[in-house]
Amino acid sequence: MSLLLPVVVFAPAIAAFLLLAIPDSQKAATRAVSLLGATISLLGSIKVALDYDRSAGGLQMGYDLPLLPTLGIHLNLAVDGWGASLLLLTGIIIFAAVLASFTVARRDKEFFIYLLVLVSGVFGVFVAQDLLIFFLLYEIAVLPMYLLIGIWGSSNKVAEDGPFRYVWSLLDVGGREYAAMKLTLMLLMGSAAILVGIFWLYLEAGATSFDLAELARHEYAEPTQLIVFPLFWLGFGTLAGVFPFHTWSPDGHASAPTAVSMLHAGVLMKLGAFGVMRVGMVLLPEGTHAWAPIVGAVAVINVVYGAFSAMSQKDLKYIVAYSSVSHMGVVMLGAATLDSTAWNGAVFQMFAHGVMTGLLFALVGLIYERSHTRIIATMGGFGSVMPVVALFFTLACLSSLGLPGTAGFVAEMMVFLGAWRVGHPIWAIAGIVGAFVTAVYVLRASRTIFWGPGPSEKFEHLHDAHGSELVAPIVLGAAIVVFGVWPRLILDLIDPSTSANLAVITRVIGGGQ
Amino acid sequence: MRSPLSEAPLAALVAVLAPALAALLLAVLPMVRRRGAPAAWICLASSVASLVSAGLLLAGQLGEAEPMAWTTSWLTLDGQGLGELGVNVDGISASMLVVVTIVALCVQVFSVSYMHDEPPDAYGRYFTYHALFLFSMNLLVLAPDLLQLFAGWELVGVTSYLLIGFYYRKPSAGRAALKAFWITKLADMGFILALAVLFTSTSAFRFDAELSTPLANVVAGLLFFAVVGKSAQFPLHIWLPDAMEGPTPVSALLHAATMVAAGVFLVVRADPIFAHAPDTREVMLVVGSLTALFAAGLATVQTDIKKVLAYSTCSQLGYMVAALGAGSTLGGYFHLTTHAFFKALLFLSAGSVIHAVHSNELADMGGLRKRMPLTATAFIVGSLALAGIPGTAGFFSKDLVLAALEGRMGWLPYVALMTTAFLTAFYMGRVVLVAFFGEARGKADHAHESGALMLGPLAVLAVLSLGVGYFGAHFAEVTATGEYHLHFGMTPAIASGLALGGFALAYAVFGGGRDASGVGVLALLDGAARSALVDRTYEALYRHGMLNAAAAIGWFDRYVMDGLVNLSGWLTLVAARSLRRLQSGFAPDYVFAVVLGALALAAWGYLS
Repeated sequence: MSLLLPVVVFAPAIAAFLLLAIPDSQKAATRAVSLLGATISLLGSIKVALDYDRSAGGLQMGYDLPLLPTLGIHLNLAVDGWGASLLLLTGIIIFAAVLASFTVARRDKEFFIYLLVLVSGVFGVFVAQDLLIFFLLYEIAVLPMYLLIGIWGSSNKVAEDGPFRYVWSLLDVGGREYAAMKLTLMLLMGSAAILVGIFWLYLEAGATSFDLAELARHEYAEPTQLIVFPLFWLGFGTLAGVFPFHTWSPDGHASAPTAVSMLHAGVLMKLGAFGVMRVGMVLLPEGTHAWAPIVGAVAVINVVYGAFSAMSQKDLKYIVAYSSVSHMGVVMLGAATLDSTAWNGAVFQMFAHGVMTGLLFALVGLIYERSHTRIIATMGGFGSVMPVVALFFTLACLSSLGLPGTAGFVAEMMVFLGAWRVGHPIWAIAGIVGAFVTAVYVLRASRTIFWGPGPSEKFEHLHDAHGSELVAPIVLGAAIVVFGVWPRLILDLIDPSTSANLAVITRVIGGGQ
Repeated sequence: MRSPLSEAPLAALVAVLAPALAALLLAVLPMVRRRGAPAAWICLASSVASLVSAGLLLAGQLGEAEPMAWTTSWLTLDGQGLGELGVNVDGISASMLVVVTIVALCVQVFSVSYMHDEPPDAYGRYFTYHALFLFSMNLLVLAPDLLQLFAGWELVGVTSYLLIGFYYRKPSAGRAALKAFWITKLADMGFILALAVLFTSTSAFRFDAELSTPLANVVAGLLFFAVVGKSAQFPLHIWLPDAMEGPTPVSALLHAATMVAAGVFLVVRADPIFAHAPDTREVMLVVGSLTALFAAGLATVQTDIKKVLAYSTCSQLGYMVAALGAGSTLGGYFHLTTHAFFKALLFLSAGSVIHAVHSNELADMGGLRKRMPLTATAFIVGSLALAGIPGTAGFFSKDLVLAALEGRMGWLPYVALMTTAFLTAFYMGRVVLVAFFGEARGKADHAHESGALMLGPLAVLAVLSLGVGYFGAHFAEVTATGEYHLHFGMTPAIASGLALGGFALAYAVFGGGRDASGVGVLALLDGAARSALVDRTYEALYRHGMLNAAAAIGWFDRYVMDGLVNLSGWLTLVAARSLRRLQSGFAPDYVFAVVLGALALAAWGYLS
């Protein structure tokens, strides 16, 4: 039994526990402990990725602690290649997110506690092999968001004109409480669907435990497959921003404080996609097979519709949020193909989009802290006063539009190749069009913000990122380039798990498509 | 295709990695970059290393060395490698590498002086972009398969975007940078699809994939769509004239000599695929000839010296594409090579002029021959080569192109390119006469000759523009793209005659300092150029199509999709408000409810 995984998973939670013992006034200690917890997890996740035996594949570094043996509930942690790469992503993002949160002024101790507890949940989901624990940790990852956005978020009421003004004011649309509530309610609705699905499978399998491997051995009846798969797809999919359940994302991400946006768009949305693939598709091969065309068609909507929606936004954070909806569509598109190329691409896209959007939100946070505006039309010429921010923003944009040499390219390319190979040219073309539209809106925004004559008088005093603010952009920017230039660092992890998981599906549905 | 890491691949790796290292160093060490001069030194050092490696590689290929490759797989799929990453050395890549590194080094040396007045941080940024460009271009040239070529292809596109937008404070530079990137990105969708088709049928991305004719037509056609964007062919040529917003040396390197020629290089590289795609080649022949003629027409009426050269580049790229379409890989590739030298020469001489008179407008020049004799000589040499005057490099390569077109498609492409040759001489004659002869006008009065750092590269390129043509046979042999013959028939005679005729007409119209922009045909062409019909079509598609679609979808999402979410929230609130009345808190109400319930139960019991 290796203790590595429990350390990675629970280090942040333990740090959060320690924070309880630190007085509110000790800001430096609060930050140090938080950063320590995140760092341990980051280093641990790097070690997991390095130690994982790529040739052997399968589940490794198992840790098993019976919690409720009578009900067959174990704290059963083990990592496969997908898990290892997503642990690494989570480690990178939380490290950067803690650093980006050093500017939180109000009630910062509580902020860090929620943030760290949340991230323990995220780490756990990627390695939990017991479905009930999986679900529990999933909820731990989702629920603190309500407080994090509701307390530390920003209200940003976009002035509504016309017939909707009155209704919108009734509902407090754009307020942080509204955003927090909307996000939480929509995600919980998804959770409810997932829970129903889990119990359904548990009962039908007559299982003695919630062990994923045990549940996967049972062949579920056809009606079960056809009914439970959409529960998982839409349940987890809500968190992955699957159309039409994506509207929590723009409001939620826009209202959330920087670190929370980074974590939410960077990692939490991947929990959803990971859940669909790891639980929904692997447990229910026939259901997957039957529903795949619809999953793919909806993903196409996500990609194109999300990109066009992003293009129409005036608020920088909304642009980034909608771009997440679009990019997560690429993940779901890859998943729906049931092809090894595209699955590698889909998991890689989870990673690539995670670091890219994490970087974008970190930079948007930096810009907002200085200029106190997120409306891009009011910005302009910022490149003259903050060249470093401009550099990293450009890098993130280029990864977003899928430039070779950045992580985004490998992911999108593999998804498109796979989609074409299995005979879904429309999906591939839609994805490629989405990437083109992305090129239009990200570079357009980048130009409006950073290019042009020097900034107006109001923004002349803005200064560039410096000191500890630079750490998060450097770490995330480096990840984009390193994994873009040498993708095999994690593709070699992802590939064996893709083969193993896909084999389960193709065995049942007969030789694959 | 793995071989041990011997000398040749090592040199090839140096050619790619030296500029990569320089770009990386300058990117991550802002303190070095912002000091300016050290950045230039690092960039130049890496370019020299690349040039030396390229020279060694070409010498090897001219000698006994076998083509060789050193690759490793870039991606992983089903437990195996996918896509090759590495270097592929053969006659084609070695010769292109030499062309690219010579021009790049000339341009960089020229820039040291040309960009001298920039603030240190901009100066450093400029050379960082140059190092990044050379890395990307070498990555493209040495690519062992189409996937890596695509990676280089996109990366040169980005450096082009960054360099066009180098003066990012200028709104027009920003617009031009975006336009260039978007148009080429639009075309690159074809490249991605070609990769997908190729992958589906062969599970790899090899240049020499064996495809059936219909499949080869599809792959080649999709690739050609990307070429139309990158090599600025009609109707996606519109970004290139705007790209002149970048610094002039950049125009010389990226937007004349190398990057825009990448499209042509792709076709040469993927010749085995294009050879099986006759239909695509027909299309190329038409598009190339049309672009050559159309762009030459527009070049005759430009008033900005760089725009003349930009349209001329479109036109000459049209020559290359037409040659490739006619099946003459050698002709297309040889013209690429000679054009790289003489067009870089023209742009750099133009840069020298612009540096002296601080204007791009021909109207601000005049009589410069006396004040800048060396620059004038260089420009005239470049013009003669571009026009294809016998003895210059342009003559030999144009001859190959035109000979390949003889009799094709009812001689139409042949006639089009012959007409283009005439127009080429005419518009270059015009520029030479207006800028360098006649009376000095306006700012040209104070012009003085540029320094040695700018004249040196001009001299190197001038020699190459004159001399490279004589090495056609060697070129054909080392690149193995075809048999080289010098034609002594009608074609070179007609072409030379037309070129001389073009110069003569230019002298008749513009000689002696006359301004003839209002004359008949020219005025007509001018009107056509100003209407910029193609440009406006894209503009309309973008503004009225794309942005309006985005606005509509954004509205739909905000008010309809999200409206449904808000509606459900609102309904919940309304429902809660009305149902709340049931819990009034008054005991009599509850007693009343209990009684009502009891009665209902009793009634139910009685009835059933």
